[in-house]
Amino acid sequence: MAILTKSYPIKARDYLKAGEISMGVHGLLKKIGFATELIRRVSICAYEAEMNVVMHGGDGVMTIEIGEDYVNITIKDSGPGIEDVSLAMKEGFSTASEEARQMGFGAGMGLPNIKKNSDSLDVISAKGKGTEVRIGFVA
Amino acid sequence: MTDKTSLHYVHIDEKRCVGCVLCMKACPTKAIRVRGLKVAKIVGTCVDCGECIRVCPHGAVKATTTRDDYKAPAANMVISASPVLYSQFGQDVLPEDIQAALQKTFEYVFDQTYFLDLYNVALEIFIKETSGKEDSSRPLISPVCPVVNRLIAYRFPALLKNLSPILTPRELAARELKRRIEKDDLLKKTDYGVYHITPCSAKMISINNPMFLKTSYLDGAIGINDVFESVKRNLPGPDETSPVSPSNSLAIGWGISGGEIAAMGEGNYMAVSGLPETIRYLEKIEMGLFRDIEYFEFRACLEGCIGGPLTVADRYEAKRTVMNISRMFSHDKRIRYAQAERAYRKGWFFSEKRPQQPEEAGKRSGIIHEIERQEKIAKIMEGLPGKECGFCGSPGCRSFAEDVADGRAMLEECIRMRIR
Ligand SMILES: Nc1ncnc2c1ncn2[C@@H]1O[C@H](COP(=O)(O)OP(=O)(O)OP(=O)(O)O)[C@@H](O)[C@H]1O
Ligand code: SF4
Ligand SMILES: [Mg+2]
Repeated sequence: MAILTKSYPIKARDYLKAGEISMGVHGLLKKIGFATELIRRVSICAYEAEMNVVMHGGDGVMTIEIGEDYVNITIKDSGPGIEDVSLAMKEGFSTASEEARQMGFGAGMGLPNIKKNSDSLDVISAKGKGTEVRIGFVA
Repeated sequence: MTDKTSLHYVHIDEKRCVGCVLCMKACPTKAIRVRGLKVAKIVGTCVDCGECIRVCPHGAVKATTTRDDYKAPAANMVISASPVLYSQFGQDVLPEDIQAALQKTFEYVFDQTYFLDLYNVALEIFIKETSGKEDSSRPLISPVCPVVNRLIAYRFPALLKNLSPILTPRELAARELKRRIEKDDLLKKTDYGVYHITPCSAKMISINNPMFLKTSYLDGAIGINDVFESVKRNLPGPDETSPVSPSNSLAIGWGISGGEIAAMGEGNYMAVSGLPETIRYLEKIEMGLFRDIEYFEFRACLEGCIGGPLTVADRYEAKRTVMNISRMFSHDKRIRYAQAERAYRKGWFFSEKRPQQPEEAGKRSGIIHEIERQEKIAKIMEGLPGKECGFCGSPGCRSFAEDVADGRAMLEECIRMRIR
């Protein structure tokens, strides 16, 4: 059973605030006192997932669930969804807009980076159905 | 004398403090409380940044330097001055004039330029050699600003491994200076000390509690504000000439934010100054961002060391002076590269120890307990007015909620809770 569950809204295309939610999650985990390596892994995944909502998705919510020996984060958005999830998971695949590229995004490394830094990853999405990304970590 | 065991090198004079909230509000680590609005006290992690010194209108906050005992033994003092000193007297006063003025007071005065150059060469070799390796920490972080070092040790211990292991120019200079003095019996005396003239309220702690050395090669630090008047008085007159300074434009520019990385060749480097900005970037680096940047130059003071708390000139005036003076100097390092590289291979540039996380920063009370505490804090926050006024004696509503949760303050201390 989770000891703590918290949800934060994410706004699509709000580039000014982009990254703040994952910074908040980072701060929370740090205060609680998890091992630094776990904090780094969770933070980087939260950041990539948050950015994907801002860049590609629609308005959404990030939920963090903390247990004594695990952390789960779920990022759900109501955007256009991903047509081919296994293609999206490939390094270098990106549909990032010109706008996003100008800000240094769109290398197609976000999802692969999440895969690399987490213990479990599920991307549940279909065209027109929004996207749900579930990421799990063992503390 | 300075107390080597004291944790704070910035201290508040309780007789002068009137209990206003300016320093408490300015403190970037929220380490100050003014309980009952009586006197300000440093209760948390002080990183010696000196923000409180700047804002106190009553002169009640001071930095510990060697000031108090410097007058008497000045004749035995060997001086290694930060290049920031060159920025303090306007563009008509050149580094050689300042050197000459210092020489009238102190036993021996030494220009740091050569060591700044050497440092940059060593750093470039180190970056090149560790670049792209799986086990190298990136981004590397400059070890020059003691406030940043302490901030990392206390608040970002995961980044201690990112601190570059190259010794700072001030330590390299002091070590070499001592070696030369002893080898050639330069001063014909043994009771001398090497002192750093500094813009920085935190140099003293880096000398008394060094993070990269067993003991510092410096014997003390003197604030620029403490020598300012005497330098000014002793500046050479219009008819006097002083030997041209061996400095170069890179060294003179070191005190400006970006000066350290500007003195290196091209590379993926980044300079950030100001404490709030530094904290924001350290957070992001700790989150795992900026892996593509090789080297970060952080300076706690806005615009770099020319904005240090112990400077006299306004930081933007100082910047203008640096820009104008540096134009009169060569852009080239006067270094024998082969010799520098040989010294590098011998380990001459490397720190003696890796910085450690301070014990008091590592204390944890267990995950469940800490989560409960966070929930309690969130609950208390909900009841607070969110005015961030500071009347409670804590620097903001969040800090107050933490203080209440930890039993250091009572809810009734919030003035708005009382009114309601
Ligand atoms: N929340 C989402 N909604 C819609 N599409 C998404 C979402 N997340 C990812 N995608 C799709 O998956 C692709 C790959 O995502 P990934 O994060 O790996 O790369 P990127 O965001 O394009 O670039 P980078 O993360 O390197 O800046 C995206 O280009 C986009 O087409
Ligand atoms: S920026 Fe310079 S003067 Fe300011 S604290 Fe750091 S080293 Fe000292
Ligand atoms: Mg992405």
